[in-house]
Amino acid sequence: MSILDQRKLIESIHPFGLLSRETLDNLMQKIDIAYYPKDTLLISKNLPSIAFYIIIKGSVSESKDDEIHNVYSHGDTFDADALIYGKCEGKFVVDEDLICYEIKKDDFLELMQNKKVQNYFLQDFVTRHQQLKNYDMQSDFSGFLMARVSDMFLHKACVVEKDESIFSALSKQEKLKAHVIIVKDENEYSIVTDTDLRKHVLLGGADVKDEIATIATKGLISIDYADFLFNALLIMTQNEIKRVVVMKNKEVFGVLEQLDLLSYFANHSHLVAVQIDKALNIDDLKILQADMKNIIITLRAKGVKVRYITKLISTLNIKVYKKVFDMCVDAELQKDCALIVMGSEGREEQTLKSDQDNALIIRNGTDVKLYEEPMMKLNSYLLELGFPKCPGNIMVSNEFWRRNESGYKELIAGWTQSMSEADVQNLSIFLDAKCVAGDEKLLSSLITHLHHHFHQRADVLAHIAKAVLNFETPLSMFSGFVLEKEQQNRLDIKKGGLFALVHGVRTLCLEYEITQTNTIERIKELNNKGIIDKIFATELIESFDTLSAIRLKAALEAKSLDESNYINPQSLEKIQRDLLKDSFKIINKFKKFMSFHFHLNMVS
Amino acid sequence: MLFSFIDKMKAKANRSKLKEKEYEFLFEEDLSGEYIVFDTETTGLNPKRDDIVSIGAVKIKDNKILTSQTFEVFIKNSCEMSSRSIEIHRIRPIDLQNAKTTENAIREFLDFIGSRPLVGYYLEFDVSMINKYIKPMLGITLPNKKIEVSEIYFDQTISLIPQGNIDLRFDTILKNCGVPDMGAHNAVNDAIMTAMIFLKLKAKDTKKF
Repeated sequence: MSILDQRKLIESIHPFGLLSRETLDNLMQKIDIAYYPKDTLLISKNLPSIAFYIIIKGSVSESKDDEIHNVYSHGDTFDADALIYGKCEGKFVVDEDLICYEIKKDDFLELMQNKKVQNYFLQDFVTRHQQLKNYDMQSDFSGFLMARVSDMFLHKACVVEKDESIFSALSKQEKLKAHVIIVKDENEYSIVTDTDLRKHVLLGGADVKDEIATIATKGLISIDYADFLFNALLIMTQNEIKRVVVMKNKEVFGVLEQLDLLSYFANHSHLVAVQIDKALNIDDLKILQADMKNIIITLRAKGVKVRYITKLISTLNIKVYKKVFDMCVDAELQKDCALIVMGSEGREEQTLKSDQDNALIIRNGTDVKLYEEPMMKLNSYLLELGFPKCPGNIMVSNEFWRRNESGYKELIAGWTQSMSEADVQNLSIFLDAKCVAGDEKLLSSLITHLHHHFHQRADVLAHIAKAVLNFETPLSMFSGFVLEKEQQNRLDIKKGGLFALVHGVRTLCLEYEITQTNTIERIKELNNKGIIDKIFATELIESFDTLSAIRLKAALEAKSLDESNYINPQSLEKIQRDLLKDSFKIINKFKKFMSFHFHLNMVS
Repeated sequence: MLFSFIDKMKAKANRSKLKEKEYEFLFEEDLSGEYIVFDTETTGLNPKRDDIVSIGAVKIKDNKILTSQTFEVFIKNSCEMSSRSIEIHRIRPIDLQNAKTTENAIREFLDFIGSRPLVGYYLEFDVSMINKYIKPMLGITLPNKKIEVSEIYFDQTISLIPQGNIDLRFDTILKNCGVPDMGAHNAVNDAIMTAMIFLKLKAKDTKKF
């Protein structure tokens, strides 16, 4: 009976739960309970590890170079690496009186003969992280959106040579019952849809004996056979198309129809997109807002990665912006300005509506005053739609964020000189800018101008980067004692983790003139340019994903906007808590990288 | 001086009554440096009338509870179990199907403990339960040194609050020592929890042990 209770505890800890009955029985006979008073040194460089510890009560801190690296508490284990490699860089000290199970070194190494246990402990961070995540998913959801394009029913593609006649192409299409004709021209493909036929043959008077290539539309939108189904949905939503061509090894493989896809997803993000386009007035848009939140909730419950949810939501939000812009600004005025969104919206990382950060760039030579009234209207519409007011007043209704190109250039010149906090903040927000309506070139030329201005300005860059170190990573907050003193046992996931990552990556991109705004895209680009290596990049992306996922969970549960960044680690599942911890470790690693890169220890 | 003399005399008298020579080891000096923490579950609280249902024991060495060498037996019993003790210990008659006879269980227990000091909570009761059986079997009572955790706890707490009323209930001591409640109250779990309490108290009072 009693042995059972202890068994249960051990079994609940990953990866011991994977062990067979006999192995576990066997293990139970080798486990002792040990007690260590506070401040006992368990493992260090000179004190090799003699056992594998599983904490029953109390906590232990791991530090490297006098910096807290991790805190272990009830249910946590440590330290497999010290046992396997026989050495340890850090120092494990008892933080709070410790009662723990001990598996002696030899017994532990014997246990490592078990493949499952071995796999778990020998993996590097990323794989372990992903394994834990998958394990977490399994327990929560089906692998619904892990589905790939290849899992879907694909329609046969009707591929014809470019010099085939329209007539023979059509009869081929009829035979295959295909919806579109794909025209092959050496390595390039183009497409003929019903619309093309109507426009060119029925209305345009093209002859059915003509070559099919003459009526084909270039720029085929395609997706890889192995890609996630979810990306197919994104492509369709973004491009407003009803089917997408599936490629395998650069050859046309089939056609994915929207109808099939939608019935597979059984949610109506595309319908929302269509409805946004069809909206005639602000009230139509308002009705759709509730649907957006539902999409987030369903997608999350289906296990979609947060970065895809945010992308989809951003796409929809941009549509809303465009629509509102069309409603407020005359067509005549539209071509001489660019409406930009900044901050999290610009990075396409927003889920639930956060403050609106937007601005207007007006072409030089056009009267700025003309835009005042439309922008006021636009702002009031957005407020009506539930985009919250920006407390920093970074909105088009504010004259400061509604200026012409030279006006912005003046601003930029100021930012390169100034070290004031407000300027750094404005610059950071502007760096995330994305054009949602109007003339895109107005923004891109400004960004190029901005990048040029920061050439050789390592001093200012370092000053901007310094903000990364503004908030401590809340790793030590996990131990029960510290949490109680902190506000309501919670930690701020934005301040503690996300901010450092987002801001750091942003600053690096300013230095290396990377124009992407999305954090994950930026990390990938930094990797492409060789500034960070592949492993680190993947670690950062996974951490970012984890932190965003936990934040989204908090936001969905929070009652108010101010609350949405706070999470209580104790309320998370053990696996999530481990993932969070691992992510914070990566954030710390990133902070070190930033300090080194920008010589932050020399900047005051 | 006088007390230790009397103790020695008593021990000698006890030893002289030993019927089976193979149990001499109970009287030999203990060199293992280990302690035994044990607990018994019984049919009631009167050693004269009630019987042992199970015995649980663990060894302590230095700062470790050697749960890898846990001792646990269930004993077949002629006595009817009171429904109340079924509730407390959650041992149903059906659990005792694989149980051992009292004599075998007690002999295994003696082999396990050797001459190591015994540690327990309200140890006097558990010891007199064991004595009830070994007295007729071997002619002796348990000669081992006995350490009462509630006594150590009392001594350590009274120095903090002189003349205070000290709550010596098991759950209270458990809580104040910051020992996790392992849930089910059975002989082994109670022994393990008592062992944790002992380790904590021992750490505070290094001179004595």
